[in-house]
Amino acid sequence: MNLVIDDVGFTYPGGAEALRGVSLRIQGGESIAFIGENGAGKTTLMKHLNGLLKPSRGRVTVDDWDTREHTVAKLAARVGFVFQNPDDQIVERTVIDEVAFGPRRLGQSETDALANSVAALEIVGLSDESRTHPYDLSASQRKLMTLASVLAMRTPVVIFDEPTMGQDARGLKLIGDIVEELKREKRIVLIITHDIDFCSAHFERVVAMADGRVLIDGPTAEVMARADLLATTNVEPPQLVRLAQALGLPVAPLTIDGLIAALPR
Amino acid sequence: MIRLADVTYRYPRATVPALDGLSFEVSTGQFCAVIGANGAGKTTLCSALAGFVPQFYRGTITGSIEVAGLNVVESPLADIAGTVGLVFSNPFNQITGARFTVRDEIAFGLENMAVPVAEMEPRIEEIMRFAGLEGLADRSPFALSGGQQQRLAIASVLVMRPKVVVLDEPTSQLDPVGAKEVFSVLRSLATTAETTVFMAEQKLEWVAAFADRVLVLHQGKLVADGPPGEVLASPDLGRYGLQPTRYTQVARAAQLAGLRSADTPLPVTLEQAVEFFN
Amino acid sequence: MSQSFSLYIPTNSGMHRLHPLTKLALVFLCLVLGLFLPGVWLSYATFALIIIPSALWGGVLPRLLSALFKTALPIALSLFLIQGLFWPGGTPILHLGPLSFKEEGLYFSIQRTGRFIMIIGSFLLLTFTTRPDELMLALNRHGIPNSITYIILSTMQIIPRFQAKANTILDAQRSRGLETEGNVLVRIRALLPLIQPLLLGSIVDIDERAIALEVRAFGRKGPRTSLLTLHDTPAQRIARWLMLLAAVAVIAWGIYLWLAPRFIA
Ligand SMILES: Nc1ncnc2c1ncn2[C@@H]1O[C@H](COP(=O)(O)OP(=O)(O)OP(=O)(O)O)[C@@H](O)[C@H]1O
Ligand SMILES: Nc1ncnc2c1ncn2[C@@H]1O[C@H](COP(=O)(O)OP(=O)(O)OP(=O)(O)O)[C@@H](O)[C@H]1O
Ligand SMILES: [Mg+2]
Ligand SMILES: [Mg+2]
Repeated sequence: MNLVIDDVGFTYPGGAEALRGVSLRIQGGESIAFIGENGAGKTTLMKHLNGLLKPSRGRVTVDDWDTREHTVAKLAARVGFVFQNPDDQIVERTVIDEVAFGPRRLGQSETDALANSVAALEIVGLSDESRTHPYDLSASQRKLMTLASVLAMRTPVVIFDEPTMGQDARGLKLIGDIVEELKREKRIVLIITHDIDFCSAHFERVVAMADGRVLIDGPTAEVMARADLLATTNVEPPQLVRLAQALGLPVAPLTIDGLIAALPR
Repeated sequence: MIRLADVTYRYPRATVPALDGLSFEVSTGQFCAVIGANGAGKTTLCSALAGFVPQFYRGTITGSIEVAGLNVVESPLADIAGTVGLVFSNPFNQITGARFTVRDEIAFGLENMAVPVAEMEPRIEEIMRFAGLEGLADRSPFALSGGQQQRLAIASVLVMRPKVVVLDEPTSQLDPVGAKEVFSVLRSLATTAETTVFMAEQKLEWVAAFADRVLVLHQGKLVADGPPGEVLASPDLGRYGLQPTRYTQVARAAQLAGLRSADTPLPVTLEQAVEFFN
Repeated sequence: MSQSFSLYIPTNSGMHRLHPLTKLALVFLCLVLGLFLPGVWLSYATFALIIIPSALWGGVLPRLLSALFKTALPIALSLFLIQGLFWPGGTPILHLGPLSFKEEGLYFSIQRTGRFIMIIGSFLLLTFTTRPDELMLALNRHGIPNSITYIILSTMQIIPRFQAKANTILDAQRSRGLETEGNVLVRIRALLPLIQPLLLGSIVDIDERAIALEVRAFGRKGPRTSLLTLHDTPAQRIARWLMLLAAVAVIAWGIYLWLAPRFIA
């Protein structure tokens, strides 16, 4: 499975030119964090990958499928998408049905669909809520439920738009673990996040966007070291990198151990 | 400015209270942050300060809450609105739908407060500049990105210049610089305009750098209350489901590794960390 | 577009620039003309002589006709078939094998269709060329309380809001594999799973909006100001009075025509 975004431009019907020529190649097994200022076009770009938006110019292909030639429902077998606003994603009356919605529509057998859904709820720690109405969950739980409902689809590509929004330390760890597990399974994981510390802890490749274009695309440590360029898209490097810079250390550490190791003894 | 006395609140049908015996006071012009794990009661507390708990959500409340001289448990919501500004966390449902451009949406609160038009315009321009919404004045409020909608929600409340601003995780969708700017604007409102700021947040780095005071909620109870340097460096933080800033973590790791003396107080901000390591 | 939650079509025609109350008076007069006088053709005449030229002036005629066509055609067809063929004891005038169209039924259908076209047409004319917030303000200025004008505003927004919500839910469903694109059959099948989340989602929205409004002091009593400005002219003011007088006269005439035969008998 690989994704190719080829010189994609997109303008919303209202007039906003949200993408101005984006090109990216994503190989099977790769995981990428998308960062950048509000309105940079991150959500718009991701919606092109599951076909919710079709490029005004350029081409998006998911393996051998041009997204323009396939329905969203068909693309859903390959690309699972968790929306930025969890309330935009609620279609069923109980948490378990909500999570099983995708698996059932994608043609999994009822036993598989349920098994996958139960497993996904377990992963996000919501097993006790499977009979609850989605609207009765708290906002942070609702976000976790939407993660589960896409995990249960078991798609080769998974996209999370702002998964860590409103999560506490436990939620962050949980989502971090999910990302690590998906990476182990060699699935393509794409996330959009403003949590730069989360991004640098779990992703090896980062794409920073600004004003409908790709500003920087590269290995996380390299991207994070370019504070001045990141500043143009309203991003500050992670806390550890800023500390290392403030201390005049010649490294851009992404872990605590990395910084400790770089401290003068 | 804010005074809670033994406040206990239960949502309808809930078995355990969401707020449990809360008592504290916040003085005029203070920037007070409240932190806590998911479900700790932050949102409930914010709603209570603006009267929506219990007036909108029903349920049962005991104790008293006074904000800016109003008994917010009983005063009509319409009287509270101009005095206590509430920004809630999900930006997607804070747009009134009564106005059709970003500028008019910001003006809506001012219109309802009968602010003269001549005064309205400069206030709107100023707030749009601060919120980074300049280019979007004539856009439909619904045709915005998540972060832009959140900026609009904050701007629409701040423009009303409430005496007390209550914000529930107002930066959840903002880009990193945007989030920091919101904190810094609130800081200056508190310092120069004597606005009392009460904010629920997860971004501890900015809480540490900008707030005067931090409250920690845990299962509806107030479990810590003090200046950021004290509360955020406390080893108890983990027990309440919170993670200290990287600065604190790395300093603690350095102490454990024997690289720094164990009695130096732990840093919570970047400046303190630089001092700690130098 | 539907994003703005109103049917308003923003162009800058003379019709658009009229004071909202002038347009309201015009529409009121149309409704009165079409509804209060007996006879078949008056509503058609109102439509042809007032609504069409006004829509043309406002540059919204094609949109108005297409919206009207979509709503009126099915209704007109069923009226003609059911009432025309099955009017009890009517005079047959056209034979179709064993069935026949009855004169009274056709007469009735022509009349109802005319009224329908005229009512929907004037509603569309008003909403296409009038910003809802300006209409609200104009009514406020004439002593109609905020709570009532707000209901009018919400009513004008019901259709676009439902559309937007439905699109959100369809996006959520097709992103998880429910086929919603394709031929008529596929789309009809996608309707059923849409209804329940649409209703629930709309109720939740209403609740959240109530809070959003309250926070902005919407419930506050007393005077208000407005950033919007309305342009009025003495000519329009006179025209409004004339239209109102005409409407009252038509109503009186209609009542007279209705009562007269009864008194004589
Ligand atoms: N529905 C819409 N209609 C019109 N314009 C839109 C719409 N949604 C987004 N935009 C505009 O398109 C641009 C890109 O928006 P997008 O949502 O992709 O940004 P983003 O990078 O995801 O930002 P954020 O971090 O705030 O979520 C912005 O300028 C935004 O105002
Ligand atoms: N509308 C509601 N009805 C019933 N119970 C509720 C409601 N809203 C919240 N609760 C419950 O009240 C408690 C406190 O929730 P609250 O939303 O205030 O926490 P929070 O600290 O804001 O959490 P988060 O970080 O997830 O936003 C939780 O146990 C929650 O389940
Ligand atoms: Mg986005
Ligand atoms: Mg909350």
